[in-house]
Amino acid sequence: MGNLIRSFVGHVRAVATGLRYLLLPNRMTVYYPEKLIELPEGYRGLIRYYPELCVQCGLCAMVCPAGAMKMYVKKGEKRGRPGVNYQRCIFCGFCADICPQNALEMTKVHDVAYEKLEDMILSPEEFAQEVKSPALEEGAVKVKVIFSEERGLVHEPA
Amino acid sequence: MMGMGLLEWVLELLLSPQVFAPVVFPGLVTALVVLLTIIWAERKIAARVQMRVGPLYVTRRFGGVLQMLADGTRYMFQEFIIPETSDKGFFVFAPVLALAAAILPFAFIPAAPGFAPVKHPLAALGVLASLSAAPLAVLLMGWSSGNKFAIQGAVREAFMTLAYEAVVFLSVLAMGMLYGTLDLEEAVYRQVIPGLLLNPISAFTFFVGMVMSAGRLPFDIVEGEQEIVAGPYVEYSGIVFGIGMGLAYLKLYAFSLLFSILYLSGWEPLLPLYSVYPPLGGLMLFVKAYAVMLFVAFLRSVYGRYRLDQALRAGWRIFLPLALASVMFSAFVKVVAYG
Repeated sequence: MGNLIRSFVGHVRAVATGLRYLLLPNRMTVYYPEKLIELPEGYRGLIRYYPELCVQCGLCAMVCPAGAMKMYVKKGEKRGRPGVNYQRCIFCGFCADICPQNALEMTKVHDVAYEKLEDMILSPEEFAQEVKSPALEEGAVKVKVIFSEERGLVHEPA
Repeated sequence: MMGMGLLEWVLELLLSPQVFAPVVFPGLVTALVVLLTIIWAERKIAARVQMRVGPLYVTRRFGGVLQMLADGTRYMFQEFIIPETSDKGFFVFAPVLALAAAILPFAFIPAAPGFAPVKHPLAALGVLASLSAAPLAVLLMGWSSGNKFAIQGAVREAFMTLAYEAVVFLSVLAMGMLYGTLDLEEAVYRQVIPGLLLNPISAFTFFVGMVMSAGRLPFDIVEGEQEIVAGPYVEYSGIVFGIGMGLAYLKLYAFSLLFSILYLSGWEPLLPLYSVYPPLGGLMLFVKAYAVMLFVAFLRSVYGRYRLDQALRAGWRIFLPLALASVMFSAFVKVVAYG
């Protein structure tokens, strides 16, 4: 009997806790296409290639553990330039680390979607283009995450 | 002259309780609106409690209230697949039967004073009897699917029916004893104070039985999405799957109306709108029933699912004795309060 009463009290407490959250909601969701979390320094997003710095050594393609980076050799040239296949890329950042000229850079953009699988394979020319976040292009507001003791995660305009 | 007479006759027919109640309120049309909004509300409530946002982008300004309409439209255009291994006749027939059994109770539920399609001294039993026919159709759905998950779900449905049926019937019996009638309209008149206060034990056991019967959390054992992928409905696709999903909510709606009538003094206080057209007086009943449904939907965000044996044990070892106690309590209150 005592057991039953204890469990009944437990149920009432659980419902009360639920009701408290229902009446005082504490939403942590970021309204993504309108708001975008500002990412920390050193974030490993899509890779940007600077062809003018590149010495075409091919170390990036050699170190790539996923086989995503590949050297494209043009006709008449002896050495190639890197292109990336984002179907394979695991965003480990080894290519940017090993590059002796810092010709590869990990950007903070990661919210890009492709319509076709073929679009995910970037040639050196496409690889050299500036990487743009579609959400930011459409006027998303950047927010930063702050940890608060009472509310957990809070998002404030950056 | 002739045309006017015909028009009046048609209007009178449409507004008569025999047509208006099952078709518009509290019947089909209202049930459809309830179905569309309660599923949205359930998702929204669960999201609020779990620090999320929930459905949003369909009609963003209104918080995504048309989400279910969009989902329903998607169901409409999905292919209805009849599996090779199923018993085809019964496979198609069973959902229709289930839906019919779930809609039948609205024939007995009065929406407002003197506004019931079937006014019968045993109306409460009529509602319960037609509601307890729905599990049989679900059993048929699972059995005819010819799928092991579906059969497992069907067997679970049978077990669950054993767990709640006696509890619900005994709880209603307790209230019938207290009011001295099983006529739902009479029951409202005889509530000096809401039945919830007259016999809280019966209200509690009926509520739990209702949640079990409608298969809402913590008793959504039949569907068991994570274990047996929608149980008896696993082989159904397209709009018929939508029917299977709506079935639980239809039952919940019927039960909530019954709960509001038996324990929350129904349509009292009667709105002055009643004198304009009787069913408008039933608005109060609808509001109460909807609030009960919202609370049941809210339970989803608090509880996890019980195991089948836990639910059966609770049904037989805790809620059945409690329901019996509520009958005793009713007898006590009847003697003390009503004399």
